[in-house]
Amino acid sequence: MAKPIDLSVDFCGFKLINPFMLSSSPVSNSAEMVERAFEAGWAGVAYKTIVSDRLPIIHPSPRMNGYFGSGKQLVGVQNVEQTSDRGLKANLLDIMYLKKHWPDRLVMSSIMGFSNQEWADLSKASEDAGADMLEVNVSCPHMTVEGSGAKVGQVQDLVQKFTETCRNSCSLPIVAKMTPNITDITVPAVYAKKGGADGIAAINSVAGLSGVDIDNCVPNPNVFGKGAASGFTGPAIKPIGLRYVAELAQCRELGLPISGIGGIETWVDALEYLLLGSTTIQVTTGIIHYGQQIVGSMIEGLSDYMALKGISRVKDLVGKALPNLHETHDFDLKRQGIAQYDLDRCIGCGQCYTVCKDAGGWALDWDAQNRRPVLDEKKCLSCMVCSFACPVEGLITFKEMPSTYRRADTVTLGEGLEKQLKAKC
Amino acid sequence: MKKSNPLTDMSKGWDLAEAIAEADRCLLCHDAPCSTGCPGGTDPGQFISKLKFRNVTGAIRTIKQNNILGGACGVLCPTAQLCERECSAVGLPGGPIQIGQIQRALVEHAWAIGFNPLEKGARRKEKIAIVGSGPAGLSCAAELAQAGFRVTVFEAKAKAGGVLRYGVPAYRFAPKFLDRELKDLDALGVVFKCSTPIQGKGAAEKLLKKGFAAVFLAPGLWEPIRLKGSTPSLPGLFTATEFLCALRDGKQSQLARSVKGKRVAVIGGGSVAVDSAESAFKLGASDVYVIYRRSYTQMPAEDDEKQDLLQAGIHFLLLNQPVGYRTGARGRLRAVQLVRTELGDKDASGRRRPIEVPDSQWELPVDVVIEAIGTKPVVGAEEGYPSVKRTKGGLITANPKTGATSVKKIYAGGDIVRGPALIIEAVKDGKTAAKAILKQLKK
Repeated sequence: MAKPIDLSVDFCGFKLINPFMLSSSPVSNSAEMVERAFEAGWAGVAYKTIVSDRLPIIHPSPRMNGYFGSGKQLVGVQNVEQTSDRGLKANLLDIMYLKKHWPDRLVMSSIMGFSNQEWADLSKASEDAGADMLEVNVSCPHMTVEGSGAKVGQVQDLVQKFTETCRNSCSLPIVAKMTPNITDITVPAVYAKKGGADGIAAINSVAGLSGVDIDNCVPNPNVFGKGAASGFTGPAIKPIGLRYVAELAQCRELGLPISGIGGIETWVDALEYLLLGSTTIQVTTGIIHYGQQIVGSMIEGLSDYMALKGISRVKDLVGKALPNLHETHDFDLKRQGIAQYDLDRCIGCGQCYTVCKDAGGWALDWDAQNRRPVLDEKKCLSCMVCSFACPVEGLITFKEMPSTYRRADTVTLGEGLEKQLKAKC
Repeated sequence: MKKSNPLTDMSKGWDLAEAIAEADRCLLCHDAPCSTGCPGGTDPGQFISKLKFRNVTGAIRTIKQNNILGGACGVLCPTAQLCERECSAVGLPGGPIQIGQIQRALVEHAWAIGFNPLEKGARRKEKIAIVGSGPAGLSCAAELAQAGFRVTVFEAKAKAGGVLRYGVPAYRFAPKFLDRELKDLDALGVVFKCSTPIQGKGAAEKLLKKGFAAVFLAPGLWEPIRLKGSTPSLPGLFTATEFLCALRDGKQSQLARSVKGKRVAVIGGGSVAVDSAESAFKLGASDVYVIYRRSYTQMPAEDDEKQDLLQAGIHFLLLNQPVGYRTGARGRLRAVQLVRTELGDKDASGRRRPIEVPDSQWELPVDVVIEAIGTKPVVGAEEGYPSVKRTKGGLITANPKTGATSVKKIYAGGDIVRGPALIIEAVKDGKTAAKAILKQLKK
């Protein structure tokens, strides 16, 4: 009998039924929306960032621009989404509603103050409304209110100060949400900890420009003739998110649980975040593209993976890849390998040949008669670009060579010009 | 919305987004094999790669510079047997890239955005005469016009296009589409003289004396081959040429009257037989029989065409050789007389030869018969070019590398040289002759 799979996780003292949460964004804009997500299986929500009613929040129009890969595949979204533009009261009532009807789900109130006092007021109001946790949003890269969002997150003293204010205003666990638009993400995270944060959420969106309209020369999204760099999200930023999460998880001085965010669409994406140190994960762009129902496959996929691997608790996955994460100077350079070809499955497209010539080690020749690549093992750099181009999954794989293997030098065309060389070699 | 007419409305092509999505599947093969699969030198490896990298106008240029009839070929080419058969993705999920669809979409897109990559060449004084406005003639005309020559196309029928207009049903290839593609030739300054047959004693050869520097003969094959012993005119008996032309000439209602609710037999196994059978079915025939003397796999029609017919409910009467017709009162057609056949050894065409089974004659009661067993040169056509060397069957003998005939400055191509062939092969002939003419006039 297989061990029962338990997807539940403990995050800052709250037990979630699984690690999958909605992030603070358009997908968590109201109780109506969040309730539907809870029904679909999401374990928690970082509710859309609430603000005081002192300054009106008006959204630019249009709000988003899709960034597409091959075909209509959305690989990223650039947005100029602001904090909630609903009244504070409406949001607090919605948080109350969610906690009343969904006591087992994590409702994290994401807040953003435009003054020290507002951080205090919003913390208190969130606690009063029944929120389980606070998410301190010091990371939105495109606020239309000056001096807020990521502008705060990039100044460590302010991160500490506002977190401290929240800490002193309520008894809720506090998660600080970090901006990736900074050189070392652990610095503000440590300051947040000093201010009293219990956990870290990362990453918020990456400031980017998703494109320019080549007819009118306005960057997208085109807000009536004006474009601006703003938050870019989705699968394209996943490598950045994974890196920052791993750095936060490896930071000894920090030692806080992490909620991982950035380009998650499948259980595999989520699992990668877990393996690099996230306890929970949060999703927006995946839902923008495919809807809330993607959580079903996340739950099922992760459960089956755990069953197949004989792992019964998510806890045992968190950070499991970190011992294998090193600096590049730690690599064992004595061991070398090459690309190996399973030519029985080759369909003869010859893309491997093209890229090996144009971007690789000139290790391939082309048998035009049979339309097959011919590998010179001595020249293969093991760059593996051929395997990226190959349309047949798994045809080209990496193979370690025996220690006697020696790679041939790259051909030098300028041998005869040696005398003209001014530098001494 | 206008109700679609199954007899006249061609299926819609892809829009640019659909074409790009398909191009995105392209593997960008080294030494692209698709580009070796076209007799007309089409280079899908090039234009699909361009499209994949969003060089839409460049992709259009690649198509149209090679083939003035890029749109027509995108619609009508048996791509599954040509370029698409060579595609490396044949064995992958999703199958080969649908090259014909992409090509058609790009050409239609060019028309939609008003992009024409072709230009008239620097004006030259020489005039060239083209006889026949089918694919061979049009392709030769476009090539020479781009080289700067003054090109005149003489067409016997009322409108230009040849088989593209009079040889395929409108639902397969819309006259409007053809008209749009012909505009690309107008833009090159090609002059069309329709209803102007070049016939009578030495008429084609005389063109040289009338100031034309070269003549390209591409009149096609318009004389139907008849069933042995067939009566030329019998109420209810059509040749496929008559039948399909009538459909094109707006005589649909007249045809519908003679076909609707009737039993129709189509004799033949090629694409024209398929078109005739399908058209008869669409006109409301109660039963349509395709009668073919060999078996299913020997039929020259394309696989998907044949399957469409079977799906639609058209009957295939294979291994039967029609030998005559029985008529009833007032000479009306009553039945087609058939002899059963069996397959023997391979003949010159590489297909197994049909052998009549002794004493197996029987009758299939029908009201209408359409003979679709091939075409040959129009009777008397050779009078226009008496000095040009011809085969026994009346086809013109031309050098396949140059299109040159036995008479200097007279070239020929298309079906009049090859016998029934593909549109793209005719396109190739036009280009080949154009190149030779260019060379001739450089001297």
